[in-house]
Amino acid sequence: MSADRSDLLQGTLEMLVLKTLALEPMHGWGISQRIQQLSRDVFLVPQGSLYPALQRMKRKGWIRSEWRTTENNRRARYYELTAAGRRQLDVERSTWARTSAAVNWILDARLAGATT
Amino acid sequence: MSIIPDVLERLRALVFRAREERDMDEEIQFHLEMEAAQHRRSGLDDEEARRRGFVAFGGVERIKEDIRDARGTRLVEDTAGDVRWSLRTLRRSPRFAIVAVLTLAIGIGGTTAVFSAVDAVLLQPLPYAQPGQLVRLYQYFANKADSRTFVTGPHFRAYQQQLASLAAVAAINTYGETGADIDGPDGTERIRLLPITASYFDVLRARPAMGHAFEPRDEDGAPLVILSHALWEREFAGDPTAIGRTLTMDGVPHTIAGVMPAGFTDPIAGAVDAWVPIDLGPSQDLGPDNHFLTVLARLTPGTPLTRAQAELDALGMSLAKLYPDAKNTRAVLVPLKDDVVGPSSRALELMLGAVGLVLLLVCVNIANLMLVRGSERAREFALRSALGAARVRLVRQLLIESLTLSLAGAIVGLVVAAIAMKLLVVLGAGSIPRLATLSLDPRVLTFSLVVATASALVFGVAPARRAASAQPADVLREYGHATTGGAQGRLRSGLVVSQVALAFVLLAGAGVLLASLARLRDVPLGIQNAHVLTFDLNLPSARYDSTARARFYEEFARSVEHIPGVRAAGGVSKLPATGTFNTWGNYALTGPLAGTSRPQWVDAEERVVSGDYFRALGIPVLEGRTFDAHDDAHAPRRVVVSRSFAERLFPGIDPLGQRLNVAGEFDAEVIGVVADVAVDPEGEEAPYVYHAHAQFAGDRNWALTQVVSTAGPADALESDVRRALAALDPQLVMYHPHTLDDVIGQGSAQRLFTLRVLMAFAAVALGLAALGLFGVLSYTVKLRSREIGIRMALGAEGGAIRGMVLRQGLTLTALGVIIGLVGAFASSRLLASLVFHVSPLDPRVLSAAAALMVIVAALAAYLPARRATRLDPRMVLQGE
Repeated sequence: MSADRSDLLQGTLEMLVLKTLALEPMHGWGISQRIQQLSRDVFLVPQGSLYPALQRMKRKGWIRSEWRTTENNRRARYYELTAAGRRQLDVERSTWARTSAAVNWILDARLAGATT
Repeated sequence: MSIIPDVLERLRALVFRAREERDMDEEIQFHLEMEAAQHRRSGLDDEEARRRGFVAFGGVERIKEDIRDARGTRLVEDTAGDVRWSLRTLRRSPRFAIVAVLTLAIGIGGTTAVFSAVDAVLLQPLPYAQPGQLVRLYQYFANKADSRTFVTGPHFRAYQQQLASLAAVAAINTYGETGADIDGPDGTERIRLLPITASYFDVLRARPAMGHAFEPRDEDGAPLVILSHALWEREFAGDPTAIGRTLTMDGVPHTIAGVMPAGFTDPIAGAVDAWVPIDLGPSQDLGPDNHFLTVLARLTPGTPLTRAQAELDALGMSLAKLYPDAKNTRAVLVPLKDDVVGPSSRALELMLGAVGLVLLLVCVNIANLMLVRGSERAREFALRSALGAARVRLVRQLLIESLTLSLAGAIVGLVVAAIAMKLLVVLGAGSIPRLATLSLDPRVLTFSLVVATASALVFGVAPARRAASAQPADVLREYGHATTGGAQGRLRSGLVVSQVALAFVLLAGAGVLLASLARLRDVPLGIQNAHVLTFDLNLPSARYDSTARARFYEEFARSVEHIPGVRAAGGVSKLPATGTFNTWGNYALTGPLAGTSRPQWVDAEERVVSGDYFRALGIPVLEGRTFDAHDDAHAPRRVVVSRSFAERLFPGIDPLGQRLNVAGEFDAEVIGVVADVAVDPEGEEAPYVYHAHAQFAGDRNWALTQVVSTAGPADALESDVRRALAALDPQLVMYHPHTLDDVIGQGSAQRLFTLRVLMAFAAVALGLAALGLFGVLSYTVKLRSREIGIRMALGAEGGAIRGMVLRQGLTLTALGVIIGLVGAFASSRLLASLVFHVSPLDPRVLSAAAALMVIVAALAAYLPARRATRLDPRMVLQGE
């Protein structure tokens, strides 16, 4: 495992899966490949968490699954976003925006006297 | 996030569990292949590619478990597994399972049945609107505080009209003809009638479902009738046009005014066939000292009983002034439900206490069983614990095993309850009111399930917690080396002692009731009650006037006496030993008590007799003669009196030929003295005055109860007597034929009911205690098998070994009996009201109960003791 790869941030896996599936329906293997690829190989999806996460998301009604054939004529379980999943993606996206902005503010902070 | 897809998904995962597993496998397989294919593309050989794929994926089985967890069905699946597991283990030890389930079933079933009975009889309100407002009104005499009697006509009218705190007051004619003959589809039949005032329907807030109620102007015995729903269906096939038609009762046509709603019954008389207007007209004796009315009333809404009673007391004072003859007459209000249920509540409380003891015994037994089983399986649990099984999981498995047991116990218990309730209804019929309405209701069901679950938790937790906290190594090392083990052994012994104590309390209670019933049966009643057939015979007034009635009863008695085997036949207005009736005052006209300015009244049970009544019941004639054909309506009034009456009214002189006044109404001459008879089944004697029916038939239609004594069995006589009756008048009904033994026995029916129930409980308790003792001793023998083996190898006699085990069992039993004695003392107050001529702590009864307990305990101890001596020392010592 190369040093330039990093573990997924705790809690972001579901958001990334939602985003991936928002692009197009995909099977589990494809999702992990797509996340890796879209993150320019920074994120390596831990396979052991992916499938339980998919199971959980299905239970929450965000995604649904369906068996289809791949281009190579193999049977695979495809996952796709539901309307609830789409809404959830929006929620997670805005939460993420707030969180990352807040993290950036902290990281960009300079000691400027205790004015507040 | 909505909860519905979550639940649906979990359910789906649960239902299609196999497919879910297949899909998961296939999905992971697909993933691994794709991973391997990628590695192949980067130039690795097939095997290495596959290996890399696995490595990248991680532990397949662990991930599968994670996925299964994510399905959210884990708990249900594990529980199902535990249930399957516990069913399997229970099947492996069927004896334990059967004993535990049956024990629980007896506890749960018995509790449910008795609780249902108590609920139906004591707790359920009377089935009328606002039943809390219903009261019964008794009169009593100020000089005899506990003398509850019926109400007189003028008093009733005063209560009805002058009490603001009573919204409605109704009277029922207690002494009226309570039956009438009608022409049914199968010839003449007799129905039960209740003569009532119009206010009856206001008091009970019930109206006829069809037609109309009675009016106050009907209260002179107007020829109207309101049918019960059952009679309407039986006689008129539920035809609505029956209203307004006539029903001929005792030859008198009555207009059908209405039909009561289905299921309506009288609070006191129960199921009656029809209601007719009471006759309080001028032809009746409405004197202020003629007590003949049963009075029910409804309190004005919001009025407390105490205020109504105060108002009644105040009215009583002014009535005493108005009626100097009745200046001692007072009245008391009793809540109707207490009046209906009152006497049986003691019996039911006792049953509740008994079933509580049985339930406690069941709990102790189950605890003991579980403890023993827990110890036997300590090794198994230690082993599993050592192999890494989670303790939580072990505890949960044990809990689920207990739950499975108690649920099975609850299910079997409900069957037991259903059977027990049927039995209760049959046994209690006639002695416990309202028992017929007994049904298993959902609350009781819940109650029994709660008991089952609670017992499971309590008894499951103890061994489970012990198993979980035990050090596996200790348990594994100690197994087979244990002697009679310290704290646990003491706990089990303590449980057995308490079982014996509980069983002893029940045994003693049943024993006391049995003794008191035996004593009751031996009590002298002053009559020959064996081989006597009795039945009521009503001569309808429409077809029989007083002369015809007088003639008929005599004629009938003579024709019955012609039947082979019959010794004597006669009739009486109320059988002896069946309660008080027509208690009238008498005073002497001659002798030492005569001639005073204020006559000294002596109350006596007045009876009207016909035929050869005294000989039929074997009542000895002590002096003078009994009635004969000359004592008819034209002859001067004559009476036969009992010895105690003669001694009180004519002390010190020959009573024959003396004269007395009866009820202030007529004078009569004493022609004979007969021996005393009991007035109730408990043998209480009262003074009696007998009148000849032939002389007294004009007073009212007495509807005499017939008595026929015979040499053989009384019930075999029934068809012959019926034929003799039909030969005289085929339209008459032989009503309620019974043997005299049965009729008198009904007086003690409530005691008999309590006794039977208590005996059943005592038997169950004895069985459970024996089972507990047997279980503990067997286990002790098993634990001590090594010690016993060594002793025997060293030459101990079999008898000594047996004695050792027996001694242990009997020591526990003795301790239990001693503690049980304390319990018997504590419960004696509850029993006191139900026993008769026996102390609840009768030493003979207590020692008999103790002896029975010891015998059963010795039997229960003998089997393990015998097994101990059959142990082969070599086998035992090698078997480690």
